[in-house]
Formats: sequence, C-alpha cells, structure tokens
Amino acid sequence: MKFRRSFRHTIPCLILLAAAMAATACGRTDSGSKPGVSRPLKIAVIPKGTTHEFWKSIHAGALQAARELGVEIIWKGPQKEDDRAQQITVVEDVISRGVDGIVLAPLDDRALIRPVQDAMRDKIPVVIVDSGLQGKDYISFVATDNYQGGVLAGRRMGSLLGGQGRILVIRYQSGSASTTERERGFLETLEREFPGLTLLAKDQYAGPTTETAYQIAENLLSRFHDADGLFCPNESSTFGALRAVQEAGLAGKIRFVGFDSSPKLVQALADGDLDGLVLQNPVKMGYLGVRTIVQYLRGETIAQLIDTGVTLVTKDNMASAEAKSLLTPDLSILDR
Amino acid sequence: MNSPNKLKSAINLVAPFLGLILVLALFSAMPDVSSRFLRLANLKAVATQSVIVAMGALGMTLVIITGGIDLSAASNIALSGVITAYAINRGLPPLLAVLLGILTGTLVGFLNGLLITRLRLVPFIVTMGMMGIARGMAKWIARNQKIDAPLTWVNELMSKSPRPSWLLLAPGVWLMIVLAVVMAVVLRRTVFGRHAFAIGSNESAARLCGIRVDGAKVAIYAVCGLFLGLSGVMEFSRLTVGDPTVAVGLELDIIAAVVIGGGSLNGGEGSILGSMIGVFIMSFLRNGCTMMGWPNYIQEIIIGIIIIAAVSLDRVRHRSAA
Repeated sequence: MKFRRSFRHTIPCLILLAAAMAATACGRTDSGSKPGVSRPLKIAVIPKGTTHEFWKSIHAGALQAARELGVEIIWKGPQKEDDRAQQITVVEDVISRGVDGIVLAPLDDRALIRPVQDAMRDKIPVVIVDSGLQGKDYISFVATDNYQGGVLAGRRMGSLLGGQGRILVIRYQSGSASTTERERGFLETLEREFPGLTLLAKDQYAGPTTETAYQIAENLLSRFHDADGLFCPNESSTFGALRAVQEAGLAGKIRFVGFDSSPKLVQALADGDLDGLVLQNPVKMGYLGVRTIVQYLRGETIAQLIDTGVTLVTKDNMASAEAKSLLTPDLSILDR
Repeated sequence: MNSPNKLKSAINLVAPFLGLILVLALFSAMPDVSSRFLRLANLKAVATQSVIVAMGALGMTLVIITGGIDLSAASNIALSGVITAYAINRGLPPLLAVLLGILTGTLVGFLNGLLITRLRLVPFIVTMGMMGIARGMAKWIARNQKIDAPLTWVNELMSKSPRPSWLLLAPGVWLMIVLAVVMAVVLRRTVFGRHAFAIGSNESAARLCGIRVDGAKVAIYAVCGLFLGLSGVMEFSRLTVGDPTVAVGLELDIIAAVVIGGGSLNGGEGSILGSMIGVFIMSFLRNGCTMMGWPNYIQEIIIGIIIIAAVSLDRVRHRSAA
C-alpha cells in the first residue's frame, strides 16, 4: 500500500535531512563573521512596498546617501505591498542576516514594535522613517511634518478664496495616521485663520483607491455643485477627486488643493485644474534616514526627530528647480 | 532487487526532501550569508515564520486529499485573528478569546462543508464565496481598521525568545510540531483519515462502500477551519493587533505548500510530512532571498518554478512507479 511505504520512509528521510543540514552547517562555521578591518557598513532599508513612486524616491535618496558615505544598502520590502505580517518577516530576516543598521518605514505603529526591539537587542540600531512607531526603541524618527503640510494647504485655500466661501474636505481613510494629521492641520488652520470659510462636508472618506475616491467625489459634487473649494490629503484621493471635478465640468471653477505628486497631477497643475499641491520630500527622507544611521554608527550625535519638510507648489512656482525636483524626482540612480 | 529498482527507491526516499536540501544548500553556499543562514537564531526565526502557513497547510492537506480545496483559508485566518483581538479588547479572558478565535475558524469551515454537501456545489465556488464573506466580516467587525488589543500571554505564543527560555522555540512552533504528528497519525491510522483518502480517490466508490461521504466532508472542512482558526490566533499573536487586511493571498501559499509536498488537486494523494516540507521550502527560500537582499520578483519567480518543478517531478515518479 502506498501510504505504508512513504510512512516507513519518514524516519530515514528525517535523518537524511538532519545530516544534510549538519554537513552544510559544519562546513561553514569556521568562515564566520570575522571582525572586518575596513568592511563597508551594511544598512538594510525596509519600505512599506516597492512599486509605488513614493518608495522609489525613498530608494533613490537612500542610494544617494550610500554612495556619498561609502556604505552598502540592502533594499527589501514586504513581498505583498502593505502586508504587516510580511514586513515583520523581512525585519527578522535582515536581523538574522546581520546588518549594521536598519532604516524602516513601519506599516503599523504597533505590530512592528517587537521586531524593532529584537533588532535593538541584537545591537542593530533602527531609524524609523515616514510613519511613526509607538514606544522609544529606535534612535531617530525621520518624517514629513504632516500637520504642517495640512497648514500649508489650509493657508493656500484661505488666500485663494479671500477668506470667504464653502469648502469640501475629502478625507483619506480612517486609521491612517499621516493623512489624519494633514486633515487636522488643514481644518484647524481654516478654523483659526479663516473663520469666514464654512465646511460643507468634512467626514467623507475617499477609501484606499483612486476609484473609491472618484465615486465619493462624484457624489459630493453632484450634491454641492456650487462648492468653492476642495481639499484632498493624498495622491489617490486627489487624483480620484480630480477626475470627478473634470467630469463634472468644474475644473478651474472650484479651487482645488491636493497632496503629493504624479505625472497626471503635475499636468493638472499646469492646466490650472489644480490650484496647489503640497509635496513631501521622499528622496530627502531616504537620504536622511541612511545618513542618520551612519552618523550614529560612526559615533556622531544625531537628532531624535528630523523633519524632511513640506513644500507648496503652485502653477506659479512649479517651474523652479526646487519644485521640479519634488514634482518629478530624479530616479536615474536606480537604473545604474 | 536489481539496481534500477534500488535507484528508484532511493529517488523516492530523497525526492520530497530534494527541494528543501537544494534550497538549504544553495543559500549555505552563498558567501554573503553562509555563516548566518544555518545559525540557530535564523532557524528559530524561519520556524516561527512558518507556523501560520503550516497550521493552515495541516487542514488544507486534509481537504485537498478529498479532492476539495479551501480558497477561504486566508480570509478565515484574518477573521479568526480579528475575533480574537476583538474579544481581548472587550475584556474577555485571553484563553476564552483564543477559543473564540478557533471556534470562529471552525464555524467558517463547517459552513463551507455544509454548503458544499447540501447545495451540491463544487468546493472551489463555495469557498471562493466564503473568501469574500469572511474577509468582509473581518473588516466589518474591525470597523475597517486594525484592532489594538492589550498585550497578553497570547502574544508570547509566537515570540522568538520564549519564556521560560528552556522552551528554546516559540510555543507556537511546538504546537505546530505536535499537531503535525497528530495529523499524520490521524491521516494514516484512523478511519477518519482513511475515509478522506477514499473520498478523494473515488467518491462514488466510497459512497457505495458505505462511507457517509457528506458527513465526512463536513467534518473535514470543519477540521480544516479549526486549523485555520488556530492560524488566525497565531497571526494575531505575531502582529499584536487584529488586522482584517492581513494574509491576502495566503491561501495560495498554503495550497502551494501542499502541492509541493506531493498533494494532488485531483484528490487521493497528499501527506502531512510532504506539506510541512513544502512550507519550509517556501519559508527558507523567502528567508534566504531576503538575507541575500534579492528583489521580491526573483523570489516570486523561483517559487513559481519550484511549484511546477515539484509537481512534474512527482508525476515522473508516479509514472516510473506504475
């Protein structure tokens, strides 16, 4: 009988396996990690995903820093975008591998605490970039001041409308810390500095994709056809709403301030369909993340909190070199 | 008797391990990571990372042996994990929360079995529907975000540095090993297990032999659900939060592990040992690729090739055995 046969083989198989593992292990133990004389530092950079433009910019910045500082980068994201469990696995694996430092953009402010603690216990320092991590088990936090980004958008909106008008806010998604901060910055700025502006809607959520954002914006615009202003806190909600604004024939009529950049949004800014984009600086974030950890490893003092800045780009200043580098970051370093 | 026969039995002996040995040898030979790859700390990490898929594979092996499939596996894991987190958050004793999580998984599996036998639908369709239902329920209960639950002993189940330290491996890993042995014995030595093979080999023949096929099937899907519920508890333990969006697509990893381990989607074949080897092949591969710093797409391509290679190797073996 078939099952009997394979069952009988189980134990020899296990012995064989153990032997194979022992053999490979023995052959290697002597060539273990010698304390390198002038070995370049190895830094693991772990993003939330690897395909989005934003993470490619972080990668470019990290590579730039690595080149300047003479260190080596291991770039590795979770196999599936935005999968918390897989990001934990990646952190564990680079700890196993043995690196000198880790730069991590945590997918969750809580789930990643334990692997980061494991790293610090193994004397591998960790710099957190982009999104926060609860607790204090890391050496520095390098990120966009998202609240300030919301403030910039709020001021732009207020001055465009001369402090008078009715405004729609489309939020991104509940539970997303960075975009919630941007929304808070925007709303509090309106309240503080432009009391003449009224809010028609401020509890609508765009959801995760451009498509869901498009639908919400379409529904809102058909109800509030005469709204004067519109704010969205990230790339997907901005693009979704832009499509709805263009479809409704309101492009250029409604004052529209968005967040983040993509080729389509840059085009809309040039066409006047968008009145402003608040931009983060992911290249700088990747660059400073790597530089901070290298400085720490070389015994220099580092700041515990580093702001990578936000910039408001409008049709008027979008041709400047600074705006250009933010709107269409130079990623050619990735191809080399 | 003669030498070709000896060779054949040698191949049969080694074949299930071939992939695993190859993967281990490959990364042990890489100068970059050779000194690190087979270290105890890394083996512990890989074992812990394998628990969730392995628990799922224990149940999936059973289902695949009957010629069925459970596409709702990953959604079931997410739902069970969310339920566990929700219950702990509600102030329930952690043990009760864990039992509730496992019960949830079992219930989803039971429902799968019931729908498959009562509505006479193919498992692919029923479990595909359940995939959406369970995922949706998870998101609903979690209100479309993750659930932060206070830390309890449940989160120690998947800790790589277990307390007490003489445990050496995370409690979840020990549980995985014990359950794998139990399931192997159940499959080979009990009526329940033999019925699963009989149903998978020839369902009508099994029915004519007096096996209560429908009852057995419902039980089998429920047992599969039980393991997935356990997987969900482990997922929660590892994440420390109940995440309704976790493990999307994990059902395919689980199915791949079973298939690499010699399970046949036509039913009637499969073994626990094989499935466990399948799980570890994929875990070591993922671990090794990350340690080497290879991009994700290379890893995905390699796993794809291994699935096809493993199954075709299996076919060749069968043909020569026949």
